[in-house]
Amino acid sequence: MYYKFSGFTQRLTGAVSSSAYSPQGLRSNIPSESPTIIFATPTKLVSESSAAVEYMGGNKVPDLQRIFQASDEIPVHLKRGVPDRLLYRTTMALTVGGALYCLVALYIAAQPKNK
Amino acid sequence: MAHQAHAYHMVDPSPWPLTGAIAALLMTSGLAIWFHFHSTTLMTLGLILLLLTMYQWWRDIIREGTFQGHHTPPVQKGLRYGMILFITSEVFFFLGFFWAFYHSSLAPTPELGGCWPPTGITPLDPFEVPLLNTAVLLASGVTVTWAHHSIMEGERKQAIQSLALTILLGFYFTALQAMEYYEAPFTIADGVYGSTFFVATGFHGLHVIIGSTFLAVCLLRQIQYHFTSEHHFGFEAAAWYWHFVDVVWLFLYVSIYWWGS
Repeated sequence: MYYKFSGFTQRLTGAVSSSAYSPQGLRSNIPSESPTIIFATPTKLVSESSAAVEYMGGNKVPDLQRIFQASDEIPVHLKRGVPDRLLYRTTMALTVGGALYCLVALYIAAQPKNK
Repeated sequence: MAHQAHAYHMVDPSPWPLTGAIAALLMTSGLAIWFHFHSTTLMTLGLILLLLTMYQWWRDIIREGTFQGHHTPPVQKGLRYGMILFITSEVFFFLGFFWAFYHSSLAPTPELGGCWPPTGITPLDPFEVPLLNTAVLLASGVTVTWAHHSIMEGERKQAIQSLALTILLGFYFTALQAMEYYEAPFTIADGVYGSTFFVATGFHGLHVIIGSTFLAVCLLRQIQYHFTSEHHFGFEAAAWYWHFVDVVWLFLYVSIYWWGS
């Protein structure tokens, strides 16, 4: 049995074997390159488009999208570089250190003085 | 980003489930250690680890959704189901407290004097601060809807202002509740009346604080242009949660404050 993704019901439906080679309802004679993802950006009035009248700061989302969509095989939690790594290593150190400390504390708690 | 021929989100391996699980271990063990040895070190460690995990996990979800575009319509559908199931579980959590309240109040035992409120308990007047609290929460329900429509219509300034107003109303509610607790003529140790009253309203208060935090994160994200008029599920989830908290208050007000007095 072969499956394809139905764009109408948003779930998998049965399909003929040939559709496994052209998924997503793509026709076989069309290159299977997926289209670039288009992000909607907040709608802006013409009068608001100059930086001087931006209410509470400018829009940095497109820059961040460029940073986070860079194809560098770095997982999302480290993608921002040094600050991410610093925070991740602190958290991991607390996790490992805390787990060991916890095991020691529970071991001590399991040895009552008055047996 | 690699090209993919389907609309689903293939997540990167993440350390946060592990760090979150260890945080839970540290907090529960830390609680036991606190009770037995009067040391809060392990529990504090667990709390710090939990806060670090929450910050980084949710930060990553914002990155995946807003900056990487992984929250496609079928992915959003999954998020919606998740939030609906979460709120459903919260409904049953509160149902338990209402069950305890009605179990105790509908047939008061002889030990309570056979009446409700029990003999010796002076309840709070439901038409003073609790009624004001009801009005405050209902008003915040209006302002959060105003914020939603502002986001949908691309009215950035109005969205920021109405969302800020919602959060301020949330803080006002919390402040009023804190004052009521301080002034209350009974305590959590005053029999089943005190227990049911403070456990139910206390957990509700905690949920108001969580909901205000959720909305505050949405306000920061709105200021930073994360929400578009078409795609703003983070805000919608916060609004659903806020309405849930609002409805629970209405039941608390009618049952415990009004009928129960």
